[in-house]
Amino acid sequence: MTTPAPVTGVTRDEELLRLVHAWMAQHGRGGSGAGARAVGTTGDGSDRTRRTGGSDAGAGATEEAVHLQEVEVLRAGRPGLVDVVTQVGDRLLHLVLGVRRPGEEAHLLRAGDDPVLGLLEDAEGLGVVVDALRDTELARLVLESVHGGGGAVDPGPPAPVSDDDDGAVLAFGEDCTLTVFSWLPHGPHPGVELLVALDEVGFNHLAAPLALWRRGGRDLGLVQEGLAGSAGGWALALTSLRDLYAAGGPPEAAGGDFAPEARALGTMTARMHLAMDRAFGRRSGEIRHWAEVVEGVVRTSEPSLLDGEGVHEALEMLKASGLKASTLRTHGDFHLGRTARTNQGWVVADFMPGGIPPGSDAPVFRSPLADVADMLWSLHHVASVAALERDPTGRSGLAGLAQAWEARNRRAFLTGYLATPGIGGLVPSDRRIVRGLAAVFEAERGALRSGGSQAAS
Amino acid sequence: MTSPVPGRQAPTIGGDPSLRWFQRAVFYEVLIRGFYDANDDGTGDLRGLREKLDYLQWLGIDCVWLLPYYPSPLRDGGYDISDFFNVHPDYGTLGDLVGLLEDAHRRGIRVIADLVMNHTSDQHPWFVESRANRTNPKADWYVWNDDDQRWPEARVVFTDVERSNWTWGDERQQYFWHRFYSHQPDLNYDNPEVADTMVDLVRFWLDLGLDGFRLDAVPYLYQRDGTAGEHLPETHSFIRRIRKDIEANYPGRVLLAEANGWPADVADYFGDGDECHMCFHFPLMPRLFMAVRREQRFPVTEILSQTPEIPDGCQWAIFLRNHDELTLEQVSDEERDYLFTEYAKDPRMKRHMGIGRRLAPLLDGDRRLAELLHSLLLSLPGSPVIYYGDELLMGDNIYLGDRDSVRTPMQWSPDRNGGFSRADFAQLYLPPLMDPVYGFGAVNVEAQRRNPGSYLHWLRGMLAERRALPVMGVGHIEVLACPNPSILAFVRWGEVSEVSADAGGDQDPSTRRRTQAVLCVHNLSRFAQPAELQLAQWSGSIPLEVLGRVPFPTIGEEPYTITLGPYGYLWFDLMDETSPAGARLL
Repeated sequence: MTTPAPVTGVTRDEELLRLVHAWMAQHGRGGSGAGARAVGTTGDGSDRTRRTGGSDAGAGATEEAVHLQEVEVLRAGRPGLVDVVTQVGDRLLHLVLGVRRPGEEAHLLRAGDDPVLGLLEDAEGLGVVVDALRDTELARLVLESVHGGGGAVDPGPPAPVSDDDDGAVLAFGEDCTLTVFSWLPHGPHPGVELLVALDEVGFNHLAAPLALWRRGGRDLGLVQEGLAGSAGGWALALTSLRDLYAAGGPPEAAGGDFAPEARALGTMTARMHLAMDRAFGRRSGEIRHWAEVVEGVVRTSEPSLLDGEGVHEALEMLKASGLKASTLRTHGDFHLGRTARTNQGWVVADFMPGGIPPGSDAPVFRSPLADVADMLWSLHHVASVAALERDPTGRSGLAGLAQAWEARNRRAFLTGYLATPGIGGLVPSDRRIVRGLAAVFEAERGALRSGGSQAAS
Repeated sequence: MTSPVPGRQAPTIGGDPSLRWFQRAVFYEVLIRGFYDANDDGTGDLRGLREKLDYLQWLGIDCVWLLPYYPSPLRDGGYDISDFFNVHPDYGTLGDLVGLLEDAHRRGIRVIADLVMNHTSDQHPWFVESRANRTNPKADWYVWNDDDQRWPEARVVFTDVERSNWTWGDERQQYFWHRFYSHQPDLNYDNPEVADTMVDLVRFWLDLGLDGFRLDAVPYLYQRDGTAGEHLPETHSFIRRIRKDIEANYPGRVLLAEANGWPADVADYFGDGDECHMCFHFPLMPRLFMAVRREQRFPVTEILSQTPEIPDGCQWAIFLRNHDELTLEQVSDEERDYLFTEYAKDPRMKRHMGIGRRLAPLLDGDRRLAELLHSLLLSLPGSPVIYYGDELLMGDNIYLGDRDSVRTPMQWSPDRNGGFSRADFAQLYLPPLMDPVYGFGAVNVEAQRRNPGSYLHWLRGMLAERRALPVMGVGHIEVLACPNPSILAFVRWGEVSEVSADAGGDQDPSTRRRTQAVLCVHNLSRFAQPAELQLAQWSGSIPLEVLGRVPFPTIGEEPYTITLGPYGYLWFDLMDETSPAGARLL
């Protein structure tokens, strides 16, 4: 792994802030977990403020000041790259500006996109500033800057993978991916910390980090190896469900039976937890306490889930338990959408939750069965979504097939997980307790998600 | 276009095409007994096959692979040979074989034959003599032992029939060694007389004009203490000996190894290009069937990713079905259970460790699936082997014993006995299929040749297209990334020679070389699917759809999107400015 050498340079702050402002307006967002907050800009320490907000800036939003924190010229000349970190309220926004000569052709990552943010005048003269991660040539230069000479000789052309509040992810063919974080934590990124730690302890079901982009104790981005030939876990599960819903009959007789995949996914999940244990160690927690916390969360968010099958009984059993069990740093938001299938088997494609579960703002140690419950919930969710896609009215009776698919693959996933050598040291030996914990954590997952997005998770 | 994948040199196709013909060839596996009966005795014969060479030439195959034609008690389909130097009288004479070879060669068709080197029939005179006592001249031509405990590490291949690799010989009061049936004793290659005789045997048939051999059961020639008795160094050494003889005296002849194993292990039989020219790629086949049932590419891409590069001048042989059961030795227990569930719903369909069914019934007669699988067979790396009758989508008869279910007579016409024989029905070696779906009344060569929309015509067209794309022979394969798991897409690319009137410089004026790239996209799903492909390294090329010569939009830097119908497949010649059609289009 390499860290790029700092390149210093000075640009005019006022112009830069205007460009940051334009970037935020184009992206129309206020940042992860920030809700709807309008943004104003200040330069040179003055209090000049303008309403700027993007689409997230709704009525009643508060205005925040924007201060330049760091400016680094990654590449001088034309095309040039300027890396900017600004403080927006109490958060840090990070973006990479590309500077082209006026009239120079942009190389759009997406047809029809307009990545131009404005103009900038520096020692090279007037330049047209674009979002560097939306321009193929500039994105390659960013990769080169981050990866230095350690990368592939000629990585494949960039293609967008995702672009959201977490940051932008670009795939360069099958060689590598570049992640550039937009909103930075005040310190190391927990997702990067998790990825690197698991890689270092030999967990190989991941896209290994090739280069970290760090400055001043903060993670700005990273380069990972590509997951050649991979397909997302969600897409693979949908393939199986489409086959089942078309064929009918029991899922074990369907050609697209997912159970072998679910079992392998369970094994990979257990290996991830064993690696978490090696990397961060384990602690101990009281099962009774977990049950009480979960009950509180569910009762507040979605009390109807307490009436779910076996949830109430499980809660009572766990609250009566005087046992303790291991806690770990976990994935934090583990679902099919965070996984991928490759020719070598399953991998965790996305560690960016960093062990921070929904509702928390820092990594917490919790039972590994919380991740297990997340995936069980995801298996339920994908079966429901697929049934709804095909049978929105519910008249075709796919719900029964969905339940059968879910039951078979939950069993297979748990079998794979619990049969993995070593996992017995991390989960309670009493299978009733295991099932109970999985049930209540799953209810918690459902409660926390009930008001949120129904995205592929 | 230069080499599109950094760090890899474009393979050269050609060299001396007459010596490396097998790298681009399409093989056609023939059961002589079941192909055509020329003398009306109810059994197919060499003269019958000779009479049908016009058909094979019309179909467009390059090489016929003959199943064993040697004298044999036929307790194992002829793989129990009782005389290595002759032709089974049911099939004709040595003269008939020579006539067949001459006629085939005149048509540009080569002929290879099965050669069982590991064992003989227990009725072979060598074994009859060997088992008589411990002192006769052939006493050490087979592997004898006083007890049956030696080499316990060696697995029993036919576990459903045999319990041990040793069988008691009463006359000699010793056990003899056999890796297959107890009526097939293994030859003792540690005896130099045996090894020398087998080298002479190879020369004998090559002198008659055969173009090579499929070496049956080749991993088992030697036994050593503390080993499983497979893939031993001594076996490789013996193969190198034969290869050296071929290189010196019979250039252009080919050795094809039947070694059912993992590709990395089987590749050992290529040696350093000094053992077999070809090896069967067994694990690919069941995974093709798995992939289309699972509707996802991973069973195939996993095995491709574990298939090593092979030495220059070598080639894999790939197939969908053959004369044996659909063997499931090279899959996990779980995968075997899955394939039995999916493809052998009736217990009578199971044979040994596999499934005794032909291609069409395996696919429930779904022509779209058959086309998809044949498209994969013809485009994946390796020389395709087509089993006789599969070009018609012939059926099987699971009520016949052992592997006879897939060895019923070729169906030539709707006439008596399917046009296979004019003998009485009761005389036929096996009854032809007569059911309403796969019987000769519905499925036969005559009817399909008359119908341009038939499967036979479709496959013939695909063979012609493949022949026109030399890169399909030994081009590299680049499996493409695609987020849709139901899409299996790859590019075959390599340097090809082609005839050109305007080649300049110091090149041969009649040929020029260029890099050819063929994009093959397959939808493994029963539903229409989008394929979003990363093709930027071929940016600027125009995909020319191979069957219709239809130009598709030029490839750019962005992901290239294609929509495929259920079980759809598309081949595109990626045309650039160096290709003749590309020069016109660009």
